[in-house]
Amino acid sequence: MKRSTSLLINLLIIIWAGNSLAQVPLTKWGKPSLQGNWDFRTVTPFQRPAAFADQEFLTPDEVEEFEAAVLAGREARATAEFDGEYDQQDLDVGYNQFYLDQGTTMTTTMRTSQLIYPESGRMPAMTERGRETAQYFRALQSRSPHGPEDRNLYDRCILGFNAGPPMRSGAYNNIMKLVQTEDHIAILVEMVNDHRIIPTDGGGDDLPEDMRLWKGDSKGYWEGDTLVITTKNFTHLSRFSGTGQNMILTERFTRLDENRLEYEWTVEDLEMFEDKFTAVVEMQLTQDDIYEYACHEANYAMPLMLSGARKQESEGVEDDTWLPSWSR
Amino acid sequence: MIFFKRIFWILIAGAAVSACSQESTIPAPDSATAEYAESGSPDLSGIWQVMNTASWNLEGHAASKMPVTTILGALGGIPAGMSVVDGGVIPYLPDALEQRDRNRADWNNLDPVAKCYIPGIPRSTYMPWPFQILQTDSEIFIAYEFGSNSRSIFMNRPGTQAPLPSWMGYSLGRWEGDTLVVDVTSQVPDTWLDASGNYHGPNLTVEERYTLIDDNHIQYEATIDDPDVYSRPWKINMPLYRRIEEGARLLEYKCVEFGEDLVYDHLRRDYEGPRALDGTIPEETQ
Repeated sequence: MKRSTSLLINLLIIIWAGNSLAQVPLTKWGKPSLQGNWDFRTVTPFQRPAAFADQEFLTPDEVEEFEAAVLAGREARATAEFDGEYDQQDLDVGYNQFYLDQGTTMTTTMRTSQLIYPESGRMPAMTERGRETAQYFRALQSRSPHGPEDRNLYDRCILGFNAGPPMRSGAYNNIMKLVQTEDHIAILVEMVNDHRIIPTDGGGDDLPEDMRLWKGDSKGYWEGDTLVITTKNFTHLSRFSGTGQNMILTERFTRLDENRLEYEWTVEDLEMFEDKFTAVVEMQLTQDDIYEYACHEANYAMPLMLSGARKQESEGVEDDTWLPSWSR
Repeated sequence: MIFFKRIFWILIAGAAVSACSQESTIPAPDSATAEYAESGSPDLSGIWQVMNTASWNLEGHAASKMPVTTILGALGGIPAGMSVVDGGVIPYLPDALEQRDRNRADWNNLDPVAKCYIPGIPRSTYMPWPFQILQTDSEIFIAYEFGSNSRSIFMNRPGTQAPLPSWMGYSLGRWEGDTLVVDVTSQVPDTWLDASGNYHGPNLTVEERYTLIDDNHIQYEATIDDPDVYSRPWKINMPLYRRIEEGARLLEYKCVEFGEDLVYDHLRRDYEGPRALDGTIPEETQ
């Protein structure tokens, strides 16, 4: 009896494993296929809200409740009547609710935050150096811009605000294309129409220390059915959430089934943060296309901002309120 | 009557010779050495680059000065190059030729690529930066180093149309024997074909043909048509060379930070006034 039970369990495991494997499309060369367009919109907070304290996961009912609350909040903001001339709650840095496309659902991990390490689901503390550097950039971006270099890289269309690397759901354009060959993978995030071409066979030699790239230098390798990509040699301006040029990024792509791609990433930068931090989301396969987000070509905001700054100067106005509200 | 018949046959024969001579510029694929993908199509994957000066001027041109020779000296010149246009000259309509000349007169301020705008197709191919082809059955992805631009050539969407115009346009690919044929439509009219004012309008169509002639060379041909600008469709031809050196890879040329100097310089706090073509600030503006 005991033996037959054991056999039955083993058989069920084999069937389950077989079904699970069958759901993951494979390439001709036997690796899981990651190719496709992936939607990474989510209303799952990046950091765990205080209300969830030590709660790591939600129940299905709680997920439904959270999503409904997010949508209700948006609806309230979109229909609220604002009376102050400078009240920008509904029109912030040029966008109102109409332009935002942040998704309507939590990521299928059912976690209370995208961050899974530190265990608190909150960002680790910054080091003194990290705080000083952040303060420098806040001051730079608060002042009336002397030139385009004073603005952040998103305003300048050099990096996408949600494209990282690593990718993280943002205000809009949360869609990523993966094109996979036997020895390379291309990652194209619609924001801002900027690709990464990554060898997946371990890559060649490291770049010299002084060769810095906006999106860093990436190399990939397969760890079982997971594509692992490590990236370093960032510029000192790349600054993902306050990181510096010595940040090391490790991204892990695992196709879970036909429609889901697990995306887990870890940032290590002990110069700027007292600990590493890790996040995970599950992206959804989409049949939607990536559009050409020609950011720099249509950057009307930059000349308007610079014109405004010159106008302020000519009128003797000193203004240190140029920091966008989302980074205050 | 016999005279006219003779003229007719001479013209037909001439056209045939001309067609043959154009075909003969494309070397036959060497099936013994060209690599093939598992699907049976030639495998174009790899890093490629032109070795010509077509991005400066598609037509034949002698070396000339750029506006920066007072700063860069000999590094600031435009290298000479032979025409890559079949027949040597682009067949502009008369009004369009005048527009080309106006573009050329102020090219360094007007060329969209100088501002780091997306070069479009075909110019992206012959920019003097490498590009990488990632070939799959359903989609061929081309990543260009210049501006970190890219395009998808859809291999499984015959007969579809672009949802809207874009700088890179809409590319539909198919295999004709061993040649990848790509029809590019719906490009915005804002791109130029080179830095010499050669341009197109909103009705541009481009048929590209990529033929792998051996392991390390692709013969690239593009037929360019725009009835509003040209008197007939015309072709460019050039080889693409595989980057074969060990460690060859696509790097970043995120040109926004360079284009900003051209686009926004007059809006800088310390702007000193417009600069002359040689880079100096004219006395009257100081």
